[in-house]
Amino acid sequence: MKFTSELVDDLAAKLLIGLSKEENQMVLDEFNIIDENLSKVENIENIKNVTPMTHCLDDFTFTLRGDETTESITVEDALRNCKKTEGREVEVPKVVGGDN
Amino acid sequence: MNQTIEELHELLKEKKITSQELVQESLKKSHEVQEKYNAFVTILDEAKATEITDNPLSGIPFGIKDNYSTKDILSTGSSNTLKDYIPIFTATAVEKLLNAGAIPVNKTVLDEFGMGGTGTSGHTGIVLNPWDPTRMCAGSSAGSACAVASGVYPYALGSDTGDSIRKPAAYCGIVGYKPTYGMISRYGVFPFASSLDHCGVLTRSVADAAIVVDNMKGIDPQDMTSWDSKDLHLYEHVKDDVKGLHCCYIKELCNIESYPNPTEELKSHLENFKNKLELCKELGIEIEEVSVDSALLEALPSVYVAISCAEATSNMSNLTGLIFGPRGEGNNVFEMMMNHRTHGFSPLIKRRFVIGSYILQKENQERYFKNAQRVRRLLVDTWKKLFETYDAVILPVGTGPAKHLDGDKDILSHDTEVLEEHLQIGNFGGFPSITLPDGFINNLPVALNITGNCYNDETVLKIAYALESKMNYKNQIAKEGK
Repeated sequence: MKFTSELVDDLAAKLLIGLSKEENQMVLDEFNIIDENLSKVENIENIKNVTPMTHCLDDFTFTLRGDETTESITVEDALRNCKKTEGREVEVPKVVGGDN
Repeated sequence: MNQTIEELHELLKEKKITSQELVQESLKKSHEVQEKYNAFVTILDEAKATEITDNPLSGIPFGIKDNYSTKDILSTGSSNTLKDYIPIFTATAVEKLLNAGAIPVNKTVLDEFGMGGTGTSGHTGIVLNPWDPTRMCAGSSAGSACAVASGVYPYALGSDTGDSIRKPAAYCGIVGYKPTYGMISRYGVFPFASSLDHCGVLTRSVADAAIVVDNMKGIDPQDMTSWDSKDLHLYEHVKDDVKGLHCCYIKELCNIESYPNPTEELKSHLENFKNKLELCKELGIEIEEVSVDSALLEALPSVYVAISCAEATSNMSNLTGLIFGPRGEGNNVFEMMMNHRTHGFSPLIKRRFVIGSYILQKENQERYFKNAQRVRRLLVDTWKKLFETYDAVILPVGTGPAKHLDGDKDILSHDTEVLEEHLQIGNFGGFPSITLPDGFINNLPVALNITGNCYNDETVLKIAYALESKMNYKNQIAKEGK
């Protein structure tokens, strides 16, 4: 895989993150190392037959909570850290239609 | 505050000291340590004494890493994106300590959202090592390690996704313990990589670590990965006999011949480690050398980056600046989010998110994410196989003492040594893992680590306690230029 600064910028843009030139280079350098190291992984015998490990405890039994009403938070609490609100809602610029 | 929880509890019960005196001393020390080493995001000057009960934590101050949510108290994750965030609820682990009568006196600095290993990327600045301020504390639980080592209180909370409790503990000459995955609820702790994130504690003695985790653990309906540990009694068994236990160390990591150009520090570190294995033998623990596949070990650092970055990218999608956190400027929500993230995140975590995004792209998942998860399983299976024969794996932590602040940039490089990264296997498998100081090199502390199989926390702790009892580093307080 050929990694380029354009690719890095494109990935960052998808995340709505802007990168400086230095930050872009830092990612690029590390991409190459990760790619090189994980290329070696492909040489491990029967690697494709190994089941990917997604969590720590294989013997874990998930217990779902009962379908019961529990304590909830108030609208005031939910909006407490929001910088701009209108009534019970978060206020943002218009998303659909209009100039903004 | 220079004493252990056990000692302080006795003094409190005998009324030789009061909780109020401890709180005042801890706050005074917090301000001194802040001035010198920059360990805190917030100091809770209004902290109040609590009643002394039979619970050993009652009336005693402690610190909280700033990625634990604390109701009505600033909780930033050491990120500019949450620099004004005040939670409306408290993390379960903290709530349990409050119920035990413990007294939080500060929130400690971490690497931004726990995503670093140097203690240099928090939004309030670099945390300096109390043994030598030209060196790092490591991270991400840098402030907690610095404060405990400086004698602000006997313990502080940490979180550990790669080695974020255990490496800072090593660099600061104290004990760092992360129990089996899910033993402590993660509810209310800002997530980094959910399948690797553990809660835990930094203390100055193994017994204190057992006391604190006994009080933090327990199944929590709010965290579906927590489990019922009521049959585990860590403190009760910490002093049990270790004679007849079996431990091993990994040849590829511990033998100096594995390193083409070893530094003098590395030579001393590994020699010191081997000497401590002799102490284990004196305790009646059988020690054996084992060999593991080098190819797996060498893949470890990249596998960790791949998995942790991918999970981090998913977890951080709610950081928009719209519902909480400072709002970014812009004419629409996308511009606002872009502005919030671009100016809010440090370069190091931007890098994590971009790498994670690449790994999670559909066309890349098989080659990077799935293969990384496959190697994770192979490594964990290798360790599980060891645990069929051995009660624990004992290894040195890192390549020596704390690094200079102008050295490590916390980025993978071609010369990354597996010895620096092997504690991540404890996160891959969810294994109980404890680091304790095992000596000094150039007047700076170094450490070893003991890791056991899942749910065998009692065994891991009793080995650590027995070994600690044979050394002279229990409850040590950092002194510059020791």
